[in-house]
Amino acid sequence: MKKILSIVMVLALAAFASFAAVTTASAEELKMTGTISKIELAADGKSATVVLKDTKTEASVTVIVSDELTLDKFKDKRIVEGDEIRTKYDSEGGKNSSKMFKKTAGC
Amino acid sequence: MWGKNVVIVLGCILLAATVYAKEHPGKEQILKDGYQGPKTCEECHPGKAKEFLGTVHWKHASKVDHVDNLDPNEEHGMKNRIYTMCNGNDIVNNLKEVPPNALGKTKFTGCNTCHPGDHASDVGSTGPAAEQAIDCLICHSLKYDFSKRKAVKDSSGKVVMTQDRSTEAAANIGRPSVKNCMACHEAAGGGAMIKRGFSMAKDAEVHITKGIICVDCHQVKNHKFPTGRDPNNWAHDGIYMTCVGECHTIKPHSDPDYNRHTDKIACQTCHIPKTGGAFSKDFTKWEKQSNGFFEPSTLKREVNETAPVYAWYNLTVSNTPQFIGPKGSRTDGKSKIYPFKIFQGKAYYNKKDGKLMSMDFAPPIANGDSLAGVASAAKILGIKDYEPVPGWQTIYFGSNHQVTPKSKALRCANCHAVNGVLNLKELGYNPREIEKLTTPEIYFEKLLKQQQENE
Ligand code: HEC
Ligand code: HEC
Ligand code: HEC
Ligand code: HEC
Ligand code: HEC
Ligand code: HEC
Ligand code: HEC
Repeated sequence: MKKILSIVMVLALAAFASFAAVTTASAEELKMTGTISKIELAADGKSATVVLKDTKTEASVTVIVSDELTLDKFKDKRIVEGDEIRTKYDSEGGKNSSKMFKKTAGC
Repeated sequence: MWGKNVVIVLGCILLAATVYAKEHPGKEQILKDGYQGPKTCEECHPGKAKEFLGTVHWKHASKVDHVDNLDPNEEHGMKNRIYTMCNGNDIVNNLKEVPPNALGKTKFTGCNTCHPGDHASDVGSTGPAAEQAIDCLICHSLKYDFSKRKAVKDSSGKVVMTQDRSTEAAANIGRPSVKNCMACHEAAGGGAMIKRGFSMAKDAEVHITKGIICVDCHQVKNHKFPTGRDPNNWAHDGIYMTCVGECHTIKPHSDPDYNRHTDKIACQTCHIPKTGGAFSKDFTKWEKQSNGFFEPSTLKREVNETAPVYAWYNLTVSNTPQFIGPKGSRTDGKSKIYPFKIFQGKAYYNKKDGKLMSMDFAPPIANGDSLAGVASAAKILGIKDYEPVPGWQTIYFGSNHQVTPKSKALRCANCHAVNGVLNLKELGYNPREIEKLTTPEIYFEKLLKQQQENE
């Protein structure tokens, strides 16, 4: 019973939190091409924080990557600092979560 | 009979499961003496390097006898083919530095970056230097540092491919993993999943989920890789494979209603219901990227997003300047219905002889000038008499990977309903036959029973 209550509370909080987020900065899908200046793997290996330099504006953008295939590529250095990549990410509440993260490649 | 099948299936699973168990017996010696390239391996595996030089992975070509309009005495493959998924080949797009773009940036490009040599020993080279240039570890090391494999200029200004030849990489030898193969196969066609549009992620493919990997199905012997009959995979090592073989028979289902179809319908048709990746490219118009380089304009979808087109295929290939695809018919007694991804590409044809021309990508990558690319390729190939005119080519790619979970395989009504996935008319059935094939009589009882079981 207690457990159900706490789940309800969490849900309520989550609903509130997402409502709050919506009012401040709604999730927005952005894309960019940039050069990787830093890759930091989380200790648990389940995510990585990547700093990119936008090729167009030179601005620094930080993106969180959490899909397994891309993380694997960081681990065996198929994607490394200095590589140019193309990414699509959701920007919400100042946090950018990558939805696509690929090395640029011509034919 | 049934018992035998079970043994075979178990055999396959065991094969997959024993992969990781044992350590490479050469490890200690490699740790002691370091790795000096293939000659280190040859101390215990004599002849492997020379053997490798004779394969498609080194030559990017072989003799081809199932494709129309080819000289059967010549070798064909990525080395010299011309089509519109990638409108060049290893010869005209030999690895090089592109001229500076408007921002003053350059980069290296070339089809033969997907060759396990060092470029000094290139596609199809032979002799002792070539043997020592092979990157054995790109396929065999489970600890390969892929950042060490890249194009650079050596001290004399020649463009070479570097490799990871560290003792660390050489000390971790094993059977090639999916990752080793995907080092080149993932980005074939100009980027991740562009040409093939299949994912080999753990949860995306039923075999990979079970731990069955590339080399469990492609059972490589003496570096000869078995392959299938994709209409655009011409070069082969002389060994062919299909879904039917050591793991599956031609009648694999306990339900005879499925087995009755396998003479006419390929396994892939029901079990690989979607494809993906690029479905059209225009090599006459290059798009400027934010980094100042240009790329051929490309229409693409995600993996598993495109419905395939179905056609009869007798495993021989029609090859004209405008079309590369399956030959076959309902009535030739040899064809089955297969799924394909149709791709259409625009490039330049030579008005003088009607042939498709190839393009050196270095000029258009730098400045978008596709005709300069055609001129450069023509010069490399010694073609003097030409007049480039744009035109489209249609090509069919086989759809042979990413087997879907069986709950998503095509069932009776997916094909026998009036709005089924097969275009029965195009496939050669007459109106009376179509009426018979699309009556609910065919599937009603069965689906009703299934529905009742699920409710
Ligand atoms: C000191 C001897 C020695 C050296 C050096 C050596 N190997 Fe081996 N290797 C063996 C032996 C012994 C086996 C097991 C017998 C067999 O399968 O032929 C083996 C097996 C293999 C296998 C099969 C592994 C499997 O799990 O199926 C591969 C692949 C292989 N070696 C590759 C290499 C490569 C690549 C090199 C060079 C980096 C190398 N070996 C260097 C001794 C050596
Ligand atoms: C990232 C690695 C990679 C690069 C770069 C690459 N290819 Fe390929 N290519 C492959 C692989 C892997 C295959 C075979 C498997 C397949 O078709 O899925 C292939 C097959 C081909 C084939 C079919 C060969 C045959 O035997 O019929 C052609 C043609 C081709 N590539 C053209 C090109 C051209 C032109 C370029 C450069 C503009 C290029 N490729 C660059 C990996 C690559
Ligand atoms: C394009 C990938 C590739 C490259 C490059 C490659 N191999 Fe292999 N090799 C394979 C595959 C696949 C197998 C079969 C593995 C299996 O099924 O167990 C194999 C098997 C082997 C085996 C064990 C079976 C046998 O035939 O004796 C040895 C030893 C071996 N390779 C050595 C080498 C050496 C040495 C080099 C470099 C000269 C090399 N390989 C380069 C893919 C490759
Ligand atoms: C160094 C890059 C590279 C690696 C690594 C690589 N391939 Fe390939 N592979 C190619 C290219 C390029 C072609 C096409 C060559 C052509 O058709 O001209 C090809 C063709 C093939 C073919 C069809 C032709 C044939 O030889 O039968 C098969 C099957 C294949 N590869 C499987 C594999 C498997 C399995 C692995 C992992 C053990 C692997 N490849 C690793 C580059 C690579
Ligand atoms: C479940 C078994 C299986 C696995 C796993 C598998 N393949 Fe295949 N592959 C096949 C079959 C079967 C064919 C030929 C089908 C036909 O033409 O009938 C094929 C065809 C191919 C071809 C020829 C071109 C094409 O797409 O038809 C290439 C290249 C290839 N495979 C590479 C790979 C690589 C690389 C991997 C691992 C990433 C892999 N395969 C994993 C079964 C498998
Ligand atoms: C007409 C469509 C169709 C064709 C053709 C077909 N299958 Fe199937 N197959 C199915 C369906 C649907 C299922 C799932 C049946 C179920 O879950 O009751 C299935 C199930 C399977 C299973 C799982 C068996 C089990 O009992 O769990 C295997 C293995 C299989 N097929 C292999 C093949 C092979 C190999 C071929 C080619 C020789 C093939 N299939 C051809 C539709 C087809
Ligand atoms: C991939 C599409 C596909 C699926 C799935 C499929 N069929 Fe068929 N079926 C066909 C085609 C095409 C034919 C005609 C084959 C030929 O030309 O001999 C056919 C033929 C038949 C016939 C023979 C009809 C006649 O008049 O000769 C029967 C009965 C049949 N299917 C029943 C089923 C049942 C029951 C299922 C589900 C268990 C099923 N089919 C699933 C495509 C399919």
